[in-house]
Amino acid sequence: MARKKKKTEEPGKEKTDDVIEDFDEDFEIDFEEDLDLEEELDLLDTEDIKAGIEVKEEIIDKDEERKQLYLSCGIHIGTKLLTGDARRFFYRQTNYGLYVIDLTKTDERLKIAAKFLSKFVEEGSDRVIVTSIRRYGKEPVKKFCEVLGCRAITERFIPGSLTNPIIDTYIKDASVVVIVDPHADKVILHEAKLARIPVVSLFDTDDTLDGIDLAIPANNRGKKALGLAFYLLARQIMLELGKISSEDEFPHTLEEFTSKIVPVYRQEESR
Amino acid sequence: MSSLRKNTCSGCGRPIAPFEAAVHFPCPECGDVTIWRCERCREMGKTYRCLKCEFEGP
Ligand SMILES: [Zn+2]
Ligand SMILES: [Zn+2]
Repeated sequence: MARKKKKTEEPGKEKTDDVIEDFDEDFEIDFEEDLDLEEELDLLDTEDIKAGIEVKEEIIDKDEERKQLYLSCGIHIGTKLLTGDARRFFYRQTNYGLYVIDLTKTDERLKIAAKFLSKFVEEGSDRVIVTSIRRYGKEPVKKFCEVLGCRAITERFIPGSLTNPIIDTYIKDASVVVIVDPHADKVILHEAKLARIPVVSLFDTDDTLDGIDLAIPANNRGKKALGLAFYLLARQIMLELGKISSEDEFPHTLEEFTSKIVPVYRQEESR
Repeated sequence: MSSLRKNTCSGCGRPIAPFEAAVHFPCPECGDVTIWRCERCREMGKTYRCLKCEFEGP
Protein backbone atom coordinates (compact mmCIF):
# COMPACT_ATOMS: atom_id res chain seq x y z
CA MET A 1 0.00 0.00 0.00
CA ALA A 2 1.15 3.42 -0.87
CA ARG A 3 0.62 4.64 2.65
CA LYS A 4 2.77 1.94 4.19
CA LYS A 5 5.58 2.74 1.80
CA LYS A 6 5.39 6.37 2.67
CA LYS A 7 5.56 5.63 6.33
CA THR A 8 8.81 3.75 6.08
CA GLU A 9 10.26 6.49 3.96
CA GLU A 10 9.52 9.09 6.57
CA PRO A 11 10.76 7.97 9.92
CA GLY A 12 9.78 11.25 11.54
CA LYS A 13 6.13 10.55 10.96
CA GLU A 14 5.94 7.19 12.70
CA LYS A 15 3.81 8.50 15.52
CA THR A 16 0.66 8.37 13.41
CA ASP A 17 -1.91 6.79 15.66
CA ASP A 18 -4.95 4.64 15.10
CA VAL A 19 -7.29 7.54 14.65
CA ILE A 20 -5.33 8.77 11.71
CA GLU A 21 -4.98 5.23 10.41
CA ASP A 22 -8.75 5.04 10.09
CA PHE A 23 -8.86 8.19 8.07
CA ASP A 24 -6.23 6.73 5.77
CA GLU A 25 -8.44 3.85 4.82
CA ASP A 26 -11.14 6.24 3.79
CA PHE A 27 -9.12 8.68 1.87
CA GLU A 28 -6.39 6.65 0.32
CA ILE A 29 -7.87 5.85 -3.06
CA ASP A 30 -9.87 8.99 -3.14
CA PHE A 31 -7.22 11.55 -3.38
CA GLU A 32 -4.57 9.82 -5.40
CA GLU A 33 -5.12 12.06 -8.38
CA ASP A 34 -5.63 15.27 -6.44
CA LEU A 35 -3.36 15.25 -3.52
CA ASP A 36 -0.56 13.54 -1.89
CA LEU A 37 -1.88 11.52 1.00
CA GLU A 38 0.22 13.48 3.42
CA GLU A 39 -1.49 16.57 2.22
CA GLU A 40 -4.86 14.99 2.48
CA LEU A 41 -4.21 14.19 6.12
CA ASP A 42 -3.52 17.84 6.66
CA LEU A 43 -7.08 18.56 5.74
CA LEU A 44 -8.12 16.63 8.76
CA ASP A 45 -5.75 18.70 10.80
CA THR A 46 -3.56 15.79 11.65
CA GLU A 47 -0.38 17.39 10.46
CA ASP A 48 1.81 20.19 11.56
CA ILE A 49 1.29 23.48 9.85
CA LYS A 50 4.67 23.59 8.25
CA ALA A 51 4.66 20.23 6.57
CA GLY A 52 2.00 20.94 4.01
CA ILE A 53 3.12 24.41 3.15
CA GLU A 54 6.32 23.15 1.68
CA VAL A 55 5.67 22.77 -2.00
CA LYS A 56 7.48 19.72 -3.10
CA GLU A 57 7.39 20.01 -6.84
CA GLU A 58 9.27 22.51 -8.85
CA ILE A 59 7.30 25.66 -9.32
CA ILE A 60 6.68 26.51 -12.91
CA ASP A 61 4.99 29.87 -12.63
CA LYS A 62 2.86 32.03 -10.37
CA ASP A 63 -0.40 30.38 -11.36
CA GLU A 64 1.02 26.97 -10.73
CA GLU A 65 2.44 28.15 -7.42
CA ARG A 66 -0.95 29.44 -6.41
CA LYS A 67 -2.64 26.23 -7.42
CA GLN A 68 -0.16 24.20 -5.43
CA LEU A 69 -0.79 26.39 -2.43
CA TYR A 70 -4.53 25.87 -2.74
CA LEU A 71 -4.11 22.12 -3.03
CA SER A 72 -1.66 21.85 -0.18
CA CYS A 73 -4.07 23.64 2.14
CA GLY A 74 -7.08 21.71 0.91
CA ILE A 75 -9.11 24.82 0.24
CA HIS A 76 -10.98 22.85 -2.45
CA ILE A 77 -12.10 20.02 -0.20
CA GLY A 78 -15.81 20.19 0.39
CA THR A 79 -18.09 17.97 2.41
CA LYS A 80 -20.14 14.88 1.72
CA LEU A 81 -23.15 17.08 1.11
CA LEU A 82 -23.86 19.23 -1.91
CA THR A 83 -26.61 21.81 -1.73
CA GLY A 84 -28.35 23.17 -4.79
CA ASP A 85 -26.67 26.51 -4.15
CA ALA A 86 -23.23 24.93 -4.07
CA ARG A 87 -23.65 23.29 -7.47
CA ARG A 88 -22.37 26.35 -9.24
CA PHE A 89 -19.03 26.08 -7.46
CA PHE A 90 -18.56 22.36 -7.51
CA TYR A 91 -15.97 20.52 -9.57
CA ARG A 92 -16.48 16.81 -9.02
CA GLN A 93 -17.35 14.13 -6.53
CA THR A 94 -14.76 11.69 -5.29
CA ASN A 95 -15.33 7.94 -5.14
CA TYR A 96 -16.04 8.28 -1.46
CA GLY A 97 -18.71 10.84 -1.97
CA LEU A 98 -16.78 13.93 -0.99
CA TYR A 99 -17.54 16.97 -3.12
CA VAL A 100 -14.62 18.94 -4.48
CA ILE A 101 -14.82 22.69 -5.08
CA ASP A 102 -13.76 24.18 -8.42
CA LEU A 103 -10.48 25.94 -7.63
CA THR A 104 -10.79 28.39 -10.49
CA LYS A 105 -14.00 29.65 -8.88
CA THR A 106 -12.37 29.94 -5.47
CA ASP A 107 -9.55 31.92 -7.04
CA GLU A 108 -11.90 34.14 -9.00
CA ARG A 109 -14.14 34.83 -6.03
CA LEU A 110 -11.26 35.55 -3.66
CA LYS A 111 -10.14 38.29 -6.03
CA ILE A 112 -13.64 39.68 -6.49
CA ALA A 113 -14.24 39.64 -2.74
CA ALA A 114 -10.95 41.45 -2.15
CA LYS A 115 -11.92 44.12 -4.66
CA PHE A 116 -15.32 44.40 -3.02
CA LEU A 117 -14.04 44.54 0.56
CA SER A 118 -11.25 46.97 -0.28
CA LYS A 119 -13.86 49.65 -0.95
CA PHE A 120 -15.33 49.18 2.50
CA VAL A 121 -11.91 49.07 4.14
CA GLU A 122 -11.01 52.30 2.39
CA GLU A 123 -14.16 54.03 3.62
CA GLY A 124 -13.55 52.97 7.22
CA SER A 125 -11.86 49.75 8.13
CA ASP A 126 -13.32 49.69 11.65
CA ARG A 127 -16.76 49.44 10.13
CA VAL A 128 -15.85 46.16 8.48
CA ILE A 129 -16.92 43.34 10.80
CA VAL A 130 -15.19 39.98 10.46
CA THR A 131 -16.36 37.08 12.53
CA SER A 132 -15.80 33.40 13.13
CA ILE A 133 -17.45 31.17 15.64
CA ARG A 134 -15.52 28.21 14.29
CA ARG A 135 -12.39 27.74 16.34
CA TYR A 136 -10.01 27.33 13.42
CA GLY A 137 -11.34 30.56 12.02
CA LYS A 138 -10.60 32.70 15.07
CA GLU A 139 -6.88 33.18 14.49
CA PRO A 140 -7.20 33.91 10.78
CA VAL A 141 -9.93 36.45 11.52
CA LYS A 142 -7.88 38.15 14.26
CA LYS A 143 -4.84 38.39 12.02
CA PHE A 144 -6.87 39.65 9.10
CA CYS A 145 -8.33 42.40 11.28
CA GLU A 146 -4.96 43.27 12.77
CA VAL A 147 -3.49 43.71 9.30
CA LEU A 148 -6.36 45.72 7.84
CA GLY A 149 -7.75 47.48 10.89
CA CYS A 150 -11.10 45.73 10.73
CA ARG A 151 -13.21 44.71 13.68
CA ALA A 152 -12.92 41.06 14.71
CA ILE A 153 -15.60 39.18 16.59
CA THR A 154 -14.23 35.83 17.67
CA GLU A 155 -15.99 35.36 20.97
CA ARG A 156 -19.70 34.79 21.25
CA PHE A 157 -21.63 37.26 19.16
CA ILE A 158 -23.91 39.18 21.51
CA PRO A 159 -27.38 39.27 19.97
CA GLY A 160 -28.35 42.82 19.17
CA SER A 161 -24.81 43.96 18.41
CA LEU A 162 -25.88 44.98 14.92
CA THR A 163 -29.49 45.83 15.61
CA ASN A 164 -29.94 47.19 19.11
CA PRO A 165 -28.43 50.66 19.72
CA ILE A 166 -29.08 50.54 23.46
CA ILE A 167 -26.76 47.65 24.27
CA ASP A 168 -23.07 48.16 25.06
CA THR A 169 -21.78 45.94 22.31
CA TYR A 170 -23.76 47.72 19.62
CA ILE A 171 -21.65 48.47 16.56
CA LYS A 172 -22.67 51.69 14.94
CA ASP A 173 -22.38 52.07 11.19
CA ALA A 174 -21.17 48.58 10.35
CA SER A 175 -20.67 48.66 6.59
CA VAL A 176 -20.10 45.03 5.69
CA VAL A 177 -19.96 41.71 7.52
CA VAL A 178 -17.58 38.88 6.66
CA ILE A 179 -18.41 35.44 8.02
CA VAL A 180 -16.72 32.07 7.83
CA ASP A 181 -19.64 29.70 8.04
CA PRO A 182 -23.30 30.51 7.36
CA HIS A 183 -24.40 27.74 9.74
CA ALA A 184 -22.15 28.55 12.65
CA ASP A 185 -22.41 32.32 12.25
CA LYS A 186 -26.16 32.34 11.75
CA VAL A 187 -26.93 34.85 14.50
CA ILE A 188 -24.82 37.56 12.93
CA LEU A 189 -26.10 36.55 9.50
CA HIS A 190 -29.64 37.17 10.70
CA GLU A 191 -28.76 40.52 12.25
CA ALA A 192 -26.94 41.64 9.13
CA LYS A 193 -30.14 40.94 7.25
CA LEU A 194 -32.23 43.04 9.63
CA ALA A 195 -29.65 45.82 9.66
CA ARG A 196 -29.37 45.70 5.85
CA ILE A 197 -25.65 45.16 5.88
CA PRO A 198 -24.06 43.25 2.98
CA VAL A 199 -22.60 39.86 3.89
CA VAL A 200 -19.54 38.16 2.42
CA SER A 201 -19.11 34.53 3.39
CA LEU A 202 -16.87 31.57 2.82
CA PHE A 203 -19.04 28.95 1.27
CA ASP A 204 -18.68 25.20 1.56
CA THR A 205 -20.52 22.55 -0.42
CA ASP A 206 -23.06 22.00 2.37
CA ASP A 207 -24.00 25.65 2.75
CA THR A 208 -26.89 27.62 1.33
CA LEU A 209 -26.75 31.14 -0.03
CA ASP A 210 -29.63 32.39 2.10
CA GLY A 211 -28.79 35.85 3.39
CA ILE A 212 -25.39 35.95 1.71
CA ASP A 213 -24.51 38.66 -0.80
CA LEU A 214 -21.14 37.41 -1.96
CA ALA A 215 -19.91 33.85 -1.54
CA ILE A 216 -16.33 32.62 -1.69
CA PRO A 217 -16.37 28.89 -2.37
CA ALA A 218 -13.88 27.27 -0.02
CA ASN A 219 -13.38 24.63 2.63
CA ASN A 220 -14.49 26.47 5.77
CA ARG A 221 -13.64 23.79 8.33
CA GLY A 222 -9.98 23.01 7.76
CA LYS A 223 -7.33 24.80 9.77
CA LYS A 224 -5.04 25.40 6.84
CA ALA A 225 -7.80 26.19 4.41
CA LEU A 226 -9.14 28.92 6.69
CA GLY A 227 -5.66 30.32 7.21
CA LEU A 228 -5.06 30.46 3.49
CA ALA A 229 -8.39 32.05 2.66
CA PHE A 230 -7.81 34.97 5.03
CA TYR A 231 -4.15 35.28 4.12
CA LEU A 232 -4.95 35.59 0.42
CA LEU A 233 -7.88 37.88 1.08
CA ALA A 234 -5.79 40.22 3.21
CA ARG A 235 -2.94 40.25 0.71
CA GLN A 236 -5.24 40.92 -2.22
CA ILE A 237 -7.00 43.75 -0.36
CA MET A 238 -3.62 45.35 0.38
CA LEU A 239 -2.89 45.14 -3.34
CA GLU A 240 -6.24 46.65 -4.23
CA LEU A 241 -5.62 49.49 -1.81
CA GLY A 242 -2.18 50.09 -3.29
CA LYS A 243 -0.51 49.50 0.07
CA ILE A 244 1.72 46.92 -1.56
CA SER A 245 2.62 46.79 -5.23
CA SER A 246 3.22 43.07 -5.54
CA GLU A 247 2.25 39.92 -3.68
CA ASP A 248 5.84 39.48 -2.56
CA GLU A 249 5.70 42.74 -0.64
CA PHE A 250 3.04 41.44 1.71
CA PRO A 251 4.87 41.45 5.04
CA HIS A 252 3.01 38.54 6.63
CA THR A 253 3.26 34.78 6.35
CA LEU A 254 0.62 32.15 5.89
CA GLU A 255 1.59 30.70 9.24
CA GLU A 256 0.67 33.94 10.99
CA PHE A 257 -2.81 33.51 9.58
CA THR A 258 -3.16 29.87 10.56
CA SER A 259 -4.63 28.66 13.81
CA LYS A 260 -2.14 27.17 16.24
CA ILE A 261 -4.72 24.96 17.91
CA VAL A 262 -3.60 21.37 18.19
CA PRO A 263 -6.36 18.80 17.69
CA VAL A 264 -7.33 16.97 20.90
CA TYR A 265 -6.05 13.54 19.89
CA ARG A 266 -2.71 15.08 19.03
CA GLN A 267 -2.44 16.55 22.50
CA GLU A 268 -3.14 13.13 23.96
CA GLU A 269 -0.54 11.63 21.71
CA SER A 270 2.20 13.84 23.03
CA ARG A 271 1.42 13.06 26.66
CA MET B 1 -38.28 63.12 -11.16
CA SER B 2 -35.42 60.98 -9.94
CA SER B 3 -36.76 61.03 -6.40
CA LEU B 4 -39.81 59.18 -7.60
CA ARG B 5 -37.81 56.47 -9.27
CA LYS B 6 -37.83 53.36 -7.16
CA ASN B 7 -34.87 51.08 -6.79
CA THR B 8 -35.48 47.72 -8.33
CA CYS B 9 -34.17 44.36 -7.19
CA SER B 10 -31.25 43.11 -9.28
CA GLY B 11 -32.62 39.61 -8.86
CA CYS B 12 -36.35 39.66 -9.51
CA GLY B 13 -36.70 43.14 -10.95
CA ARG B 14 -39.44 44.21 -8.56
CA PRO B 15 -39.38 47.66 -7.00
CA ILE B 16 -37.95 47.72 -3.49
CA ALA B 17 -40.38 48.82 -0.80
CA PRO B 18 -38.95 51.24 1.79
CA PHE B 19 -39.81 49.06 4.77
CA GLU B 20 -38.31 45.80 3.60
CA ALA B 21 -34.94 44.50 4.78
CA ALA B 22 -33.38 44.96 1.37
CA VAL B 23 -29.69 45.52 0.86
CA HIS B 24 -27.61 47.44 -1.62
CA PHE B 25 -23.92 47.44 -2.41
CA PRO B 26 -21.62 48.20 -5.33
CA CYS B 27 -21.31 45.40 -7.87
CA PRO B 28 -18.49 43.21 -6.54
CA GLU B 29 -16.99 42.81 -10.00
CA CYS B 30 -17.13 46.21 -11.72
CA GLY B 31 -18.03 48.42 -8.76
CA ASP B 32 -19.88 50.82 -11.05
CA VAL B 33 -23.43 49.63 -10.57
CA THR B 34 -25.38 49.55 -7.33
CA ILE B 35 -26.85 46.12 -6.78
CA TRP B 36 -30.15 46.05 -4.93
CA ARG B 37 -31.56 42.87 -3.46
CA CYS B 38 -35.07 42.71 -2.13
CA GLU B 39 -35.70 41.04 1.20
CA ARG B 40 -37.13 37.94 -0.38
CA CYS B 41 -34.40 37.41 -2.96
CA ARG B 42 -31.75 37.89 -0.34
CA GLU B 43 -33.39 35.61 2.16
CA MET B 44 -33.73 32.87 -0.42
CA GLY B 45 -30.28 33.28 -1.88
CA LYS B 46 -31.61 34.17 -5.32
CA THR B 47 -29.20 35.12 -8.07
CA TYR B 48 -28.64 38.78 -8.87
CA ARG B 49 -27.06 40.07 -12.02
CA CYS B 50 -25.13 43.26 -12.74
CA LEU B 51 -26.53 45.08 -15.74
CA LYS B 52 -23.15 46.41 -16.73
CA CYS B 53 -20.62 43.60 -16.30
CA GLU B 54 -23.07 40.70 -16.02
CA PHE B 55 -21.54 39.50 -12.79
CA GLU B 56 -23.78 36.94 -11.15
CA GLY B 57 -23.97 36.60 -7.41
CA PRO B 58 -24.13 35.79 -4.59
ZN1 LIG C 1 -35.92 40.44 -5.58
ZN1 LIG D 1 -20.88 44.90 -12.43
